[in-house]
Amino acid sequence: MIRAKQVSKRVRVADAELSILKGSDLEIKSGESVAIIGPSGSGKSTLLGLLAGLDDVSDGDIWLCGEHLNALDEDQRAELRARHVGFVFQSFQLLPGLTALENVMMPLELRGDKKAASTAAEFLERVGLAHRLDHYPRQLSGGEQQRVALARAFAAKPSILFADEPTGNLDAATGTSINDLLFTMNRESGTTLVLVTHEPNLAKRCDRRITLAAGEIVGDDRINGTAD
Amino acid sequence: MQHLRWLMREWRGGELALLLVSLVLAVTIVSGIAGFADRLQRGIVGESNKFLAADLVLQSPREVPQDWLASAAQLDLETARVVEFRSMIAAQESMQLASVKAVSDQYPLKGMLRISDQPFTLSYETRAKPAVGEAWLDARLFPLLKVGIGDSVRLGDRQLLVSKALVSEPDRGSTFAGMGPRVLINTADVAASGVVRAGSLVDYRYLFAGEDASLTAFQNSLAGSLDASHQWQRLKDSQPQISQTLERAERFLLLAGSFGVALAGVAVALAARRYSQRHLDAVAVMKAFGATSGRILRLYVGNILLLAVGAAIAGWALGMALQSALFTLIQDLVGFRAPAASWAPIIAGSVTAFICVFAFALPPVLRLRDVAPLRVLRRDIGNEGLSVMVSAVSGIVGLSVLMLWYTQSLELVAAVLLGVVAILGLAGVLVLRVFSSIRRLASRVGGVTRLALSAMYRRRHANAFQVVSLALAMMVLLCLIAMRSSLLSDWQVQLPADTPNHFLINIAPDEVPAVKAWLDEHDVEFAGLYPMVRGRLVKIDGRELAEIPNVDENRGSVNREINLSWSENLPSDNGLVEGQWWAADETRNLVSIEQEFADRLKVSIGSKLEFLIGGLPLTAEVSSIRSLRWDSMRPNFYLLFAPGVLADYPSSSITSFYLEPGNKVILNELLTRIPTVTLIEMDAVIAQARSVIAQVSAALELVLLLILSAALLVGAANIQSSLDSRLHENAVLRTLGASRQVIARGLVAEFALIGAVSGLLASAGAELSLYLLQTLVLDMTASWHPLFWVLAPVSGAVLVALSGWWFCRAVVTTPPLYVLRQL
Repeated sequence: MIRAKQVSKRVRVADAELSILKGSDLEIKSGESVAIIGPSGSGKSTLLGLLAGLDDVSDGDIWLCGEHLNALDEDQRAELRARHVGFVFQSFQLLPGLTALENVMMPLELRGDKKAASTAAEFLERVGLAHRLDHYPRQLSGGEQQRVALARAFAAKPSILFADEPTGNLDAATGTSINDLLFTMNRESGTTLVLVTHEPNLAKRCDRRITLAAGEIVGDDRINGTAD
Repeated sequence: MQHLRWLMREWRGGELALLLVSLVLAVTIVSGIAGFADRLQRGIVGESNKFLAADLVLQSPREVPQDWLASAAQLDLETARVVEFRSMIAAQESMQLASVKAVSDQYPLKGMLRISDQPFTLSYETRAKPAVGEAWLDARLFPLLKVGIGDSVRLGDRQLLVSKALVSEPDRGSTFAGMGPRVLINTADVAASGVVRAGSLVDYRYLFAGEDASLTAFQNSLAGSLDASHQWQRLKDSQPQISQTLERAERFLLLAGSFGVALAGVAVALAARRYSQRHLDAVAVMKAFGATSGRILRLYVGNILLLAVGAAIAGWALGMALQSALFTLIQDLVGFRAPAASWAPIIAGSVTAFICVFAFALPPVLRLRDVAPLRVLRRDIGNEGLSVMVSAVSGIVGLSVLMLWYTQSLELVAAVLLGVVAILGLAGVLVLRVFSSIRRLASRVGGVTRLALSAMYRRRHANAFQVVSLALAMMVLLCLIAMRSSLLSDWQVQLPADTPNHFLINIAPDEVPAVKAWLDEHDVEFAGLYPMVRGRLVKIDGRELAEIPNVDENRGSVNREINLSWSENLPSDNGLVEGQWWAADETRNLVSIEQEFADRLKVSIGSKLEFLIGGLPLTAEVSSIRSLRWDSMRPNFYLLFAPGVLADYPSSSITSFYLEPGNKVILNELLTRIPTVTLIEMDAVIAQARSVIAQVSAALELVLLLILSAALLVGAANIQSSLDSRLHENAVLRTLGASRQVIARGLVAEFALIGAVSGLLASAGAELSLYLLQTLVLDMTASWHPLFWVLAPVSGAVLVALSGWWFCRAVVTTPPLYVLRQL
C-alpha cells in the first residue's frame, strides 16, 4: 500500500541546511495499522506528510497505492488523495464556515459523490452526532469536533487514513473515547491506518510501531494481537 | 450550482460579510456619488444655461433653412428665435441708435426676463415678453428718447407702444460686444418695420433646449451643412466666469468621487486580504483531502465573481436611495428639481464592482491556489502573507483604470497617483525603519513589554499595509478639505459684496469731469476712470503675428482691435509679475502686458510690440508683466502704456462702480446729464453668478461629508482586519502573565504609532497631490499646508488609538483560553 525507499527530507534554515529525515526505508501493507512514535522533533509529522504526498522528498522514492509519488505533480497527488486518502489532525481542522454536515460532505463532494449529504449524515450518526448536523465547529466541544473530523475521514471510504496526534488536543477521557471510535471505525472499514502519536497506549493499539529518533527509523516492532 | 452552494455556505458561516460589505460600499459610493454629482451637475448646468437662455445656441448671419428647425423638433428639442440688429429708434422729440432684439413667443427657453414697471425702479422677474406691437426699452433709453411708459416709439415703419422698462434678459451676457441701449420687441414686428433687408447686418440666434443626447445628435446632424459663418454656443463660450466656476466644481465632484472609489478599493483590498488569510487553513485541508489547485481557483474566483454581481445589484440600489436622500436634503438649497437619474450610475457601479474585484480582491484570493497542503501539519507554512508590493501594484493599476474611466482626466489621475506612489514609497522606507528601531528598543527592555514590542516587529508587514491604507484614506481627506477651502475662498474673493455692478463706457474726454462730478455728488465709490484707445497689435519684434510659430492669431484677442489704456500707477488689484513699473516722469514708449496674454504671444520683457491705432503705427517696449483678476468686475486691460504714449490718439474712458439696488434711480439723472455715455447694468448677472456659487458650495460640502464617512469605514475595516493576529498574540501574552493594562497600553501605543506614521505619510502625499492638482487641473495657485504636518499625525495618532482600542476591546476582555481554543 505504501512503500518508501531511502527517503530524506532537508530544509534550509537561515544559511544552514537541516536534515529532518535521513534515508528511511518503510513498507506498509494494506489493512495494517501503524503507529509512528518518537520524541518531539524526531521527524514523525514530516514522514507522515511525505507518505501522504503533502510534501516533496529531498531524496528517495515513495509509492502510494501503487503510484510513484515522485512522478506526480501536486495536482495529480491531490487527485490520488481524493480517491484513496483520509486525514485526522491534532487541531481537528474543520472549516469554520461550514456546518458539521457540510464539513463531512466536503471530501465526498470533491470526489463528485451525488449522495454526499446522506452519506455524511449517516457517518455523523455513527459518531453520535446525528443531532448536531447543522452546528458550526465553534458551537461544538473539542471532542465533538474531533468526532466530526473522524466522520469526515471515514465518510469518503479511504483506503488509507493518516492521523496526526488525533487526541493531542483533548483531555484524557475524551481522548480515550475518540481513540475507541477511531479504532472501531478503522476495523469496520478495513482501512490502512498510519498514526503519528507520542502516547504509548495509543501506539500499543496498532499492529506495528515504527520508532523515529533524530530523523532516523530506529525501531520497527510488530505487536501481535490488540493491546490496551 | 456548486459555486452558489459554496457561496451560500460561506455566507451562512459569516465568512463573506466583511468582503461583501466593502464591495457594496464601493458600488454604493460610486453609484451614489457619481449619480448625485452627475445629476447635480446637470441640474446646475441647466440652471446656468439660463445665462444662454437655452442649452444650445446656433448663431448665424442669415436665417437658417426651415428643415434645420424641423429636425430639431423631431429630436424633441424646444426652439426659440432671436433676431438682433442695430437700428435708429425714434420718438417725438429725439432719435437714438439702439440695439434691437426681437424674440419669438417661446423665448427664453431657460431663465427669466427682468423688467420694471417704471425705469430705474425695483425690478422683478417674468416669463412674459413684448406682445406684438409693444416695445420694452432699456431704462436709459427713457431719458435719451424723452419718453415714458405708455408713449409710442417708431422702429422703421412700425409704431410700437412702450409698455415696460427692460432691466435684463438672461442671455444679455457680460461682454461689451454689441452693447447699446436695448429695445426688446416681438419677432412678428420685424418684417413690418422694414428695417431688416438683404445686406443688413443682422445676427440670427436660434435657441434650443432639451436632452443632452438630443442636443448632441442635433449638432452632429448639422455638421455637414454649417459653414464658417455659423457658430454654436454653449455655456462655456458665453459666460467664462460662470463656466470656470462650474468646471472647477465639476472637477472637484469628480475628484471627490474618484477618491471615494479609491477609499472603497482600499476597503475591498483589506477585506479580501482578511478573507484570504482566514481561508488558508480551509484550503490546505481541502487540498489534503484531494482538491486540486484548479478546483480551488474555480471555487474561490467563482465565489468572488458571484459576490461582485450581488454587490453590484445591492450597491446600485443603495446608491439610488442615497441619491434620492441627498436630493431631498438639499432640494431647498439648490432651488431646482433634480434631473432624472440616468443609466450612468448603474454602469459605473457595475464596472466599479468588477474592477474592485479584479484589482483589489482577486490578488489575495488567487494566492489561495498556491497554499501548500502541508499546512495541515505545519501551520507556519504559507503564513507570510501577500507582499505589500503585489497588493500595491495591482491596486494602483486598478485605481488608475477606475479613476481614468471615471474622470476622463489624465492630469487628475496622474496627480492623485503620484501622491499615492509617494505614500507607498515613503511607507516602504519609513514604516520598516520605524519598526526596525522598535526591534532594537525591544532588546533593551525586559519582560512582557519586550514581547509586545517584538510582536509589533513581527507584524511589521501587516502594519505597513495598515499604515499605507490609513495614510491613503487620510490623504484623500486632507486633499478634499484643502481644495474645498481654497475653492470656497476663491469664489468668495471672486465676488465680494461690493463688486462693481455697473459699467460706464464711451466717456468722451470732455465728459470726464461731468462723470466724476456726478460720482462724487452721489458719493459713489468707483474703480477709477481709465482712458481707452482702440488699437490692433500687428508685429512683435518686427515679425508679423502670422509668421511667429505657436502663436494662434485667430485665438482670443490677438487678431482684433483691443482696448489699450495707460496709467501712472499699477492698478490696485493688479500684481507685478516681472519687470519694473515706470517712474512718473517716464518718457520712453513703455507698455505693461498681462501675464497670460504675454504667454500666448511668447512675449517677454524687452520685446517690441507694434500697433496700428486709427491707421497710425506705434511701437512700444514691454517693461513689465502683470497679473490681474478678470472676474473682479473692474476695468482690466491686457496692455497698459506709460502716461503720454497714447496721448495723441483719440480716446474715451471707462469706469465701473457699485450701486445699491434701491439707489438705481439716480442713473436717470446721469443719463439725462450725459446722454452719450453707455451704461451697462451687471447686477442681474452678478446675482445669478452668486446663486450658482452658493449651490455648488452646498453640493461640495455634502459630497465631502460622504467621503468622510467612507474614510471612517476604511479605518474601521482596517483595524478589524488586524484583529485575528492581535487576538492570538495577546491571548498568548496574557497566558504568559501579562496584565490587561500592559496589553491595553501596548495596543494603544501600537495603534497610536500607526496613526501618527499614517498621518505623516498622508501629509506628504496630500502636499504632492494638491500641488499637482492645483497647478495642473484646477488652474489655481499652489499653496503649502504647514498645519497638515502637525494636525494629521496628531489627529491620526489619537483617532486610530481610540478606534483601535474600541475595536480591540475583545482582545483584552476575551478570556485567553477561549481565544486559544478557537485557533
